[in-house]
Amino acid sequence: MKNNIRIERALKNMTQAELAILVDVSRQTINTIESNKYIPSTLLALKIAKVFDKPLEEIFILEEKDYPVKAGTKK
Amino acid sequence: MRPNYLFPYKSRYLGIALILLHIPVRLIWEMANPGIDSHRLPVKGNDSILFTNEHLFFLASSVLVLIGLFLIAFSKEKIEDEQIYQLRLDSLRWAIYFNYLVLLFSLLFTNGINFIDMLRLNLWLPLLFFIIRFRWVIFRLNRSLNLEKSSHEE
Repeated sequence: MKNNIRIERALKNMTQAELAILVDVSRQTINTIESNKYIPSTLLALKIAKVFDKPLEEIFILEEKDYPVKAGTKK
Repeated sequence: MRPNYLFPYKSRYLGIALILLHIPVRLIWEMANPGIDSHRLPVKGNDSILFTNEHLFFLASSVLVLIGLFLIAFSKEKIEDEQIYQLRLDSLRWAIYFNYLVLLFSLLFTNGINFIDMLRLNLWLPLLFFIIRFRWVIFRLNRSLNLEKSSHEE
């Protein structure tokens, strides 16, 4: 899964710390989500999407590698 | 939010204080009572030595250290969010793995009084391992943030 949080933040001219306060987590958590090291819970993802006023799918995007590869069933 | 059953953030300092307090108390005790091996519980086949001064001191100091470790391990972080929650669970799992590895080895390679010593070690070993592992991942988390910040500023 990848995400556009960094881009959306830049559009809103918002720092990681400001976003962190708005969604009630630490700055470290926003940072690790942005660098794809941590996958947020549905709750946190929805809160982040609400801050940017966009639907969830525009901020968090599934990737090919999120699907386990099974022979013959490749998407 | 689900309740997390953790102690308040500041109780960590109480825990550290309890452990630090235990060291001079223990040292004074050992100096005042030379020749007494206070690491050993009086379980030498003679039950009448239970609840002697030595035994009570051993109990008191062990309880002090245990409560201290417990408070340090299970007090909240400053911002206790879902990532911390995950790291905490992860560290707890490693502590259990490690603990059972130690138990298995002591089961295989020790017996009698040594095995009892290993069990006593088990009073605080999992907590200690959990604390070290948890602090280490949090340290790494903060370091990655600082590294990123400095690379942005350049």
